[in-house]
Amino acid sequence: MNETVNSMLDFARGPLFRFTFALMILGLVRLVGLTLYGALRAYLYAGDKALLWPIIRQRTLWWLFPFARFRRTRFVYSIISFVFHVGLIITPIFLFAHVYLWERGIGISWWVLPPRLADLLTVLTVVAAVALFVGRVGSSFSRTISRGWDYAWPLLLTVPFVSGFFATHPTWSPVSYSVMMLIHILSAEVIFVLVPFSKIAHCVLVPFSQLVSDLGWRFPASAGRDVAKTLGKESVPI
Amino acid sequence: MKPLLDSQAIAKAMKNTRPEGVRKDQRLDVRYHVEHPPTADRPRKFLEAFAAILRHNPPYVLALEHYIRLQAKCGRCTTQCMIYQATGDPKDIPCHRSSMILDIYRRYFTLGGRVWGALTGRGDLTDETLREMADSVWNCTACRKCMLDCPSGIDHGLMAHLSRYILSEIDIAPRALVVSTREQLEGETGNTSAFPLPAILDGLEFLEDDMEEELGVKIKFPLDVEGAEYVFFPAVSDFMMEAETLMGNAAVFAATGDSWTIGKQYHDGINYGLFYSDRIWDRVAGKVDAETRRLKGKVILIGECGHASRAAKFGIPTFHGGKDALPVVNCMEYALEAWQKGKLKLIPNAIKERTTYHDPCNISRVKWIIEQPRELLRYICEDYVEMTPNREDNICCGGGGGTVSIDELRPYRTGPAGKAKAEQIRATGAKYCVAPCANCKKQLKELMEDQKVDCQIVGLHDLLYKAIDYSVVKKRQGISEEAPGQADTETATSEAASS
Repeated sequence: MNETVNSMLDFARGPLFRFTFALMILGLVRLVGLTLYGALRAYLYAGDKALLWPIIRQRTLWWLFPFARFRRTRFVYSIISFVFHVGLIITPIFLFAHVYLWERGIGISWWVLPPRLADLLTVLTVVAAVALFVGRVGSSFSRTISRGWDYAWPLLLTVPFVSGFFATHPTWSPVSYSVMMLIHILSAEVIFVLVPFSKIAHCVLVPFSQLVSDLGWRFPASAGRDVAKTLGKESVPI
Repeated sequence: MKPLLDSQAIAKAMKNTRPEGVRKDQRLDVRYHVEHPPTADRPRKFLEAFAAILRHNPPYVLALEHYIRLQAKCGRCTTQCMIYQATGDPKDIPCHRSSMILDIYRRYFTLGGRVWGALTGRGDLTDETLREMADSVWNCTACRKCMLDCPSGIDHGLMAHLSRYILSEIDIAPRALVVSTREQLEGETGNTSAFPLPAILDGLEFLEDDMEEELGVKIKFPLDVEGAEYVFFPAVSDFMMEAETLMGNAAVFAATGDSWTIGKQYHDGINYGLFYSDRIWDRVAGKVDAETRRLKGKVILIGECGHASRAAKFGIPTFHGGKDALPVVNCMEYALEAWQKGKLKLIPNAIKERTTYHDPCNISRVKWIIEQPRELLRYICEDYVEMTPNREDNICCGGGGGTVSIDELRPYRTGPAGKAKAEQIRATGAKYCVAPCANCKKQLKELMEDQKVDCQIVGLHDLLYKAIDYSVVKKRQGISEEAPGQADTETATSEAASS
């Protein structure tokens, strides 16, 4: 049993990690590339190229650093969502154990979180994710607009956090370290694979949203007439 | 969250008043009148129109692709939508409305969606989906406030605009807008209100007499003056319904002495294309552009109208000339600049009553005209107060996106759509609410009446008219201060011609 787990762990840590991580990175790069290509194409065809840069800049910054919007609406939800996002991004990137693996693997390292802060962030992220899930299930308007994946994501994202926490504190773990680690790595890899094909892609797409929303109104000069031609309505009265 | 209106009031406002027989014949159970929607093969026709629009519009493809990839369905937009806040109905959530068009795009225009659809047979476009969309997109006032609180940056207004455009290509559009546009582009009068030119000219002459009697100076509406710097396009309804605003526009020019004119061949700033069809937007903007060029004007000057201003500001360069397009200026921008340069003399605190300002969505959400009217109002009003929220965060009047022209939607507009605005104005205790937009004015007047708020809706130029220091004009016309009504006709005429 242990041997099977260990060999699976080796596979998950090694080739499977490299494959899934590369898939995520390449998938996200593809999405950014497609967005930039689409934006460039829209811009080149646009009749009016005078984009509203101050608004694009201001509103992009609003949502990358959303403090200014907190006090305006849904304060509690905003705080929970913010904590969730901060934990989700900061913890895995700056966790000592992860940085150590990068250093061992490819020889680069960076600043790491103090262990207690990492623990705190992990717990907060999990609590925030559960709160978001409860909020979605508990609110009638959220249920109306939600798809299956919208419920699944907060829960799925907590799996590597919970398992990672127990892997770091094996004495509290209900299962063996190896099994916990396997759950941790495999759940993260499932997430890696899904990210570029799901709404989580917003992690790289959000910075382009305001630009896209401005470009969305920049129609080509002849668009109206061309649509009429294609639909055979050129001389059709209104 | 508790809705602003109780369920009985909502049900009353949402009642479908169209004759049941017509709805049944048209197989279209929506709350606005539609002329001749297709009764057969509707989904196929919709998808054909959608495909044609996508083919010629990379911006729509860009936005749709981006939005389907990142739409997170967080529901924050609910905090901004005054309609959802009034009804509490999940179907009024902006994100939900956008999903209708996004789901169709995903299902029919992406590889994954096509494969998934073929395998599962789910998500096919049906008559019922289209009916729901046709009803929903005209519940939205296209105010674009929801975009402010969308962390994903989705412009739900753009999605509503696209949905309306596609629907209009299969002849599902409010009759009120279609009929007006037909008159504007193909009718004899050439304007949305079907005002015959002689009636407009008579009206202007009457206003000139009125102003002379009231102010003691000759103020003209220069018609068809070739080479005038500014060619003026108010919402055509101003000619008959907003005389005070129009007099204010003329008075400002009389005070500054700049040259301006109103074209006899075309003089309607209204552009319903912004609300339901890019093809119409292009054609109407083309008429504005052509008239200005015919008169050899240098600047397109739009009157007090939010949608007309935005339709020209973005439509003229988009469809007619790009960076070489004629500049578009709103009359409030012009007035402020003239005042700042000292060309327009105003009497401080001339308006004694409490006054507040309503930001028309189309000019404030893009942060184009926000402070300009405020600077003037703070100077001429003794008791100027802001409503909350304001500026780019303002609440829509409830009649935006063309809904104000759809009379059968009045109970909806002054009920769920306008309730938040009514309470916002009521809270200021203002006597005057300045709403520099023909759409907002009509809607707010009806709203004040239906929601019983004691506030008079006016334009900025209505107040400027009262606050201008006419001594400069009198001096220019050779009239002594003591002799009101004795304007020197000859001087005034040459003044008007030169201006």
